[in-house]
Amino acid sequence: MNASNLIVAGLAFSMSVSAFAAGTHGGGHGHGASIGEPGKASEASRTITVEMHDNYYEPEEIRVKPGETVRFVVQNKGNLVHEFNIGTPGMHEAHQKEMRMMVEHGVIQGNKLNHDMMNMDMGNGHSMKHDDPNSVLLEPGQSREVVWTFANQGNIEFACNVPGHYQSGMYGDVNFE
Amino acid sequence: MSGVRFSGAVSLFAFLVLPAMAAAQAMIADTSGRKQPLTTWGIQFEELEYRYSDDDEGLGVWNADAFYGTDDFKVRLLSAGEYEIEEQAYETLEHQLVGQIPVSRFFDAKAGVRFDTPEGPDRTYAVFGVTGLAPQWFEIDASLYVSKEGDTSAALDAEYELLFTNHWILTATLDATVAFSEDEDIGIGKGLVSTETGLRLSYDFIDRAVSPYFGVVHERKYGDTADLAETAAGSTEDWFAVIGARIAF
Amino acid sequence: MNIRLGAVVLCLLMPALALAGEYDLTVDRVEIDTGDFVKQGIGYNGKSPGPVLRFKEGETVRINVTNNLDEMTSIHWHGLILPYQQDGVPGISFPGIKPGETFTYEFPIQQAGTYWFHSHSGFQEPDGAYGAIVIEPEGREPFRYDREYVVQLTDKHPHSGDRIMRNLKMMPDYYNRKQQTVGEFFSDSSEQGFWNTVRDRLAWGDMRMMKADVEDLQGFTGLINGKGPEQNWTGLFEPGERIRLRFINSSAMTYFDVRTPGLDMTVVQADGNNVQPVTVDEFRIGVAETYDVIVRPRDEQAYTIFAESMGRSGYARATLAPEEGMEAAVPPLREPARLTMADMGNMHGMDHGNMDMGSSDDMAGMDHSSMSGMDHSGMSGMDHGSMMMDNQAQNDPFYARGSGLVPTAANGGKFLSYADLRAQNPLYEEREPTREIELRLTGNMERYSWSINGVKYEEADPIRLQYGERVRFKFVNETMMTHPMHLHGMWSILDVGAGQWNPIKHTINVNPGTTVYMETEVDEPGQWAFHCHLSYHAAAGMFRKVIVEGGPDSQQAKTEAMAEDGGEA
Repeated sequence: MNASNLIVAGLAFSMSVSAFAAGTHGGGHGHGASIGEPGKASEASRTITVEMHDNYYEPEEIRVKPGETVRFVVQNKGNLVHEFNIGTPGMHEAHQKEMRMMVEHGVIQGNKLNHDMMNMDMGNGHSMKHDDPNSVLLEPGQSREVVWTFANQGNIEFACNVPGHYQSGMYGDVNFE
Repeated sequence: MSGVRFSGAVSLFAFLVLPAMAAAQAMIADTSGRKQPLTTWGIQFEELEYRYSDDDEGLGVWNADAFYGTDDFKVRLLSAGEYEIEEQAYETLEHQLVGQIPVSRFFDAKAGVRFDTPEGPDRTYAVFGVTGLAPQWFEIDASLYVSKEGDTSAALDAEYELLFTNHWILTATLDATVAFSEDEDIGIGKGLVSTETGLRLSYDFIDRAVSPYFGVVHERKYGDTADLAETAAGSTEDWFAVIGARIAF
Repeated sequence: MNIRLGAVVLCLLMPALALAGEYDLTVDRVEIDTGDFVKQGIGYNGKSPGPVLRFKEGETVRINVTNNLDEMTSIHWHGLILPYQQDGVPGISFPGIKPGETFTYEFPIQQAGTYWFHSHSGFQEPDGAYGAIVIEPEGREPFRYDREYVVQLTDKHPHSGDRIMRNLKMMPDYYNRKQQTVGEFFSDSSEQGFWNTVRDRLAWGDMRMMKADVEDLQGFTGLINGKGPEQNWTGLFEPGERIRLRFINSSAMTYFDVRTPGLDMTVVQADGNNVQPVTVDEFRIGVAETYDVIVRPRDEQAYTIFAESMGRSGYARATLAPEEGMEAAVPPLREPARLTMADMGNMHGMDHGNMDMGSSDDMAGMDHSSMSGMDHSGMSGMDHGSMMMDNQAQNDPFYARGSGLVPTAANGGKFLSYADLRAQNPLYEEREPTREIELRLTGNMERYSWSINGVKYEEADPIRLQYGERVRFKFVNETMMTHPMHLHGMWSILDVGAGQWNPIKHTINVNPGTTVYMETEVDEPGQWAFHCHLSYHAAAGMFRKVIVEGGPDSQQAKTEAMAEDGGEA
């Protein structure tokens, strides 16, 4: 278990810092564009329902105004675990590596999540919790909200980074008006 | 056979038990070629060569085999001969017609007749034998011959191929004959009669269909047979340089 | 119970609403130019490969097949679920199509995905009688792509099928030019020691089996969509587009290891059925299998599609490029594989070979923990730590432990395993099989005879199944060759240990020295072919007729029965 623990700890660490680090550094690709920040539900101008199917979103494109706060109601209507994650393509790519490890470590098991494993304290204050404010990871039938205040512009996609899902087309474009 | 039997059983079944199914389930017996044993054939000249002896003698030599049949039964025609070019005479001329059935994973049993019609007296033999692949890739052909006169003899042919490359192949052969009784008319003495040992280096020129080769062959007679040969002023030991081709159709 | 069947029921009950497509195919003598050689062959509508037939799920198709040959012919719709009389196997589905005759196939399209069609008569398929089928689904695809190409592979040989069969019967190693040589003896000696090499050669010689017996049929030119490596079939794209490549292996005998250097491939379909997407660097496609992958070339450059034969005796090559005429580097062939003793069916120690699952890391939570039914060795590969990609090669549970055939990706990355395949949507409800049927795959290389349970087709009784049962087939490969086993008419649910997520296929590879299970819902009456899809193995006897007994006695009753089933689900 020793090697495995190390990997898990490393994974937990990278997971907890990834969203914001990536957010401020434009996915580490130096574009400098921010993806925005967590919003307050009271400031949301509207609600968009995003359905997650196997393996695609409905809708596959949303239009937002610069700086708009949107309340997303994300529903997993598929048979598999799916993610709704707001980020740049570069952020998604980085996150996909983490998600692959989550699958390899049995945290994501096709159609369910191993919550015990997700909440396991790795002994250094980190866990494999998937609780970044720009994303939700849902089992089939689950529904959660994400409130997000978009920046003024940017190359933003919402995406499912469960291994293979993004690559097969489970992403949607965020277009700025 | 089994196909016919089977279709009968099914139609009976369909008729008695499932009349309503008859239309949808009118079973077709598989009379296609696939249901028949696979029949195949082949013709090979294992050796087709010119031999030049250390006595400056030229010989045309062949060793051929044609087969037709299935996994379970093959008919095989073997033909072998040595033609002395200068004397325009067959030193040996031998034909065998045998039937062959598998007896183990790697061996077939065979039985048939052999006709020898060289220059000199002819002979007819009954043939019994086994042929196949021995461990370590030795191709073995062992035969027991009983002549019409009642003389018995046995022959063992072994062959081994050494692959220098996948196209350059060195083939080593050993043919040995033993007689259990003397047949003086054709120069056979009791005991070990003769051996023929060959080494041929071939190149597969067109697939495995045409493989030219060159090599060396050593023939030797032993014991009483050698004595008989000496009496007839024949040689008891010969070396040959050979050039030829292995051909398969 | 079966979602697709439900759609068919609907279609049958409302024939007026059903779409109908009419197609014409002629079976012709054609000339095939591989770039390496030109030969006479058989094709459809004047070409080999034939046209891509595009169907739509829910329609009923009528296909008029005119035989312009001077011999009997047939067309089998590989992987399609249809009434058995339409399945196109002479002697099992129908008598065949006589010279000059036109036969009209008519059947409902009850599925979507990538399939293919080919002659089931003699050696017409290896001689060129094959084509692709693309079926558009009624709903949306569960993945996205901007354009698509069929990538149909074959192993075109200069010899005719009849001649190849005869040569193999005459000399089983007739076409094997990857045999061990004196040179290899010396190179092995310097690597493994002289006496080890001697012992190794003696052990194999004692069995009279060849380590080099990976590909029976060498000397072919790999074709993609009818084009040889020099002719370089090219598919165009705009950078950034997603391209769906529909790989179909229509070879007579050849498995291909496929890669697209510089592009990873996301496998979204196997044998026409959607699978949970898995991104790989390379995959092995068995004879008669199909894999649909999505690639996304982002750069303005050419990419090679490189398909190396499993035995490395040949390859097929094509190009994806932004413009016609561009090409990318063609990689060299890798070293040929050598079989090991593990491939020789040393079956002891194989069953439950390394099944210490209970004592390994806690797997209880894992969906694919129902391994109890799996006999593969090397299941320790499921152990968490060793799931990492660098160890994957040794741990593919679908190869014998220590097999010489285990593929590795050329770039050291991920190579697809059967163990990665999961159905995207279960087609059937999971249930206990009603019984198990063991099929030992048997043969004798030296006689080039191939059989099932030691019995060749010519001497075999049919396999009898009961309509409505779920049969578990246990394939035990006792030969040193890989056999792609194809059951006609009903799906093969490959047991990868994923329960209801087990992938649905029509062709199941069984590697040497392994045991593989598949389950079949016996939901189609009639009689069907079941065989190894290597052309010369099937012809040499590795073939069975399957009879499904019972079931609805008419098409009408059949639909009602299906409706009832649907109601229960």
